[in-house]
Amino acid sequence: MEPTAYAMLALHRRAGAGTACDRAWRLLSSWQLSDGSVRPSGAVADGTWVTALFVTLAFVRGVNDANVGRAVERLLQVAGAEHNLAMRTFSYFHLLKTKLNVSHEGWPWRDGNASWIEPTSLTLVALKKAAATHPSSELALRVREGEALVLSRRCSDGGWNCGNPNVFNYDLPSYPESTGQALVGLQGRSESELAVPLGAARRFRTETKSSLAKAWLGIALRCHGENPSGPVEEARVAPDIMLAALESLAHPDGNYRLLKTEERA
Amino acid sequence: MNRRKFLIASGAAIGGTYAGMKLEQKPEKVPDGPSGSSAVSILRARSYSEDLASRIREGIRQCGLDVGGKRVLLKPNLVEFDSATVINTDAAVIVAALEAFHSLGASEVKIGEGPGHRRDTFDLANDAHYRASIPQFESLFTDLNRDDVSPVANFAGEARFYFPNTVLAADLIVSLAKMKTHHWAGATLSMKNFFGIVPGAVYGWPKNKLHYIGIPESVVALNRQFRNTFAIVDGIVGMEGNGPIQGTPKPAGVLVMGRDLVAVDATCCRIMGIDPEKIEYLRLAADLGHVHAARIEQRGETVESVHSNFALIKEYEYLRLA
Repeated sequence: MEPTAYAMLALHRRAGAGTACDRAWRLLSSWQLSDGSVRPSGAVADGTWVTALFVTLAFVRGVNDANVGRAVERLLQVAGAEHNLAMRTFSYFHLLKTKLNVSHEGWPWRDGNASWIEPTSLTLVALKKAAATHPSSELALRVREGEALVLSRRCSDGGWNCGNPNVFNYDLPSYPESTGQALVGLQGRSESELAVPLGAARRFRTETKSSLAKAWLGIALRCHGENPSGPVEEARVAPDIMLAALESLAHPDGNYRLLKTEERA
Repeated sequence: MNRRKFLIASGAAIGGTYAGMKLEQKPEKVPDGPSGSSAVSILRARSYSEDLASRIREGIRQCGLDVGGKRVLLKPNLVEFDSATVINTDAAVIVAALEAFHSLGASEVKIGEGPGHRRDTFDLANDAHYRASIPQFESLFTDLNRDDVSPVANFAGEARFYFPNTVLAADLIVSLAKMKTHHWAGATLSMKNFFGIVPGAVYGWPKNKLHYIGIPESVVALNRQFRNTFAIVDGIVGMEGNGPIQGTPKPAGVLVMGRDLVAVDATCCRIMGIDPEKIEYLRLAADLGHVHAARIEQRGETVESVHSNFALIKEYEYLRLA
């Protein structure tokens, strides 16, 4: 699902790509289950976080049918399992030796698990795109909560890792790719809230050797109106479809705009 | 419902929450393992420039493993990269294992890993010098996070659980682990190294489903699922302190090998000055292999001759071997 979804975004409205994108959309649509969720591949029976990618793609393609509506509903039904009464009670009485904030609802990789940065950020993009055609107080609340969760899980060095900034009072470092993903999900938040992480993203982009991280950071910075320069602009073809698609999205002329979510839910 | 089950049920299995609870538990006697005993080979290797392939061949011979005609999957521990410490199985150990298993008649030797936190596996492999050091790395290596998958029934109480086809197709999975302390499990050795065979593309980064099953329970379930295994633990330079990522290098100068991964990990713990009977996944795995020293036939060096206490974070000081 992921390589196909990102390739579809990268190829959207590119000359000669229409037939391939239509075929890919039919394939991804065939992976949707009756509960609205979408499977990560034809070999897997249950839906996962890739439902968010399906919703984003649907709105990029201008599709807003009942199946998309069910997928949006599914995203609204799913929440990280750590946000429950027992955990909030533990946290309130300081019974957890952790700095993890469990007071906000985000999204898990799989239903029944805890919230993490990537699935939450991808779902924020999907729901912000859905807000125009599926407006509801519930959707707006989930977006606010999801953003609050991402903000609460920032690492002490300014960026984000998978979603766990501290273990046993030892601060954990952030990851450049997670920082990019989080910033994509946080589009629309105030400059003051994002000044430090945007600074971290700029720094990471010059320091990291990871092509995947450079791509996500490029997408994030461009979505936030910046025009980063550097090695990612060099012409190259990544050996991996998903990476090639993300690098294409991050290019100055790339389709990173499709992940922009300027309007607030 | 005990505290662990309650915490898991209540959603406390997100890293940094569940494991943040007080960990000490009443020591109970670990049950005897299967009948008989297990051979574990401890071989000295003071640096990665020594002839490691000969040592691995010697360890395989001492443990009575027949690799002839087998499709072998080497599963290193590739987690993150930090040039200031030693997080990953050293590339020299992988190169040596490739040579050793080929020379002993394996029909195929591949490498597979699915890092638990980082998605750019090939970038990690680059940083860890795997791509530069391992001949034909690209053609030998499979990113297990993104491999095609097939379902397995009744794994850890799950009706369906997905594993990479590369793993399911192997006749022998070799856990090429790193000797490290671990801030969730106490120590990460050959058994916990199998977390990397769970596909991220199905379960995410981290593989949070395993946290909900329970970290020790998942370690045991993975080792119960995959029984055609062999362990080679890279303790030439291990990690002490706040492992598995932020600890400091600890030269122990050994390779530890065996067919019984429980016995290998128990032996590694004793080398590290950790009481294996206090490591929960070893306690839970007592029916799979031998934890008790009396049931482990030490080949090569003795534990006493290579023992060197690994520093422990204060939350795990109670694990120290008396």
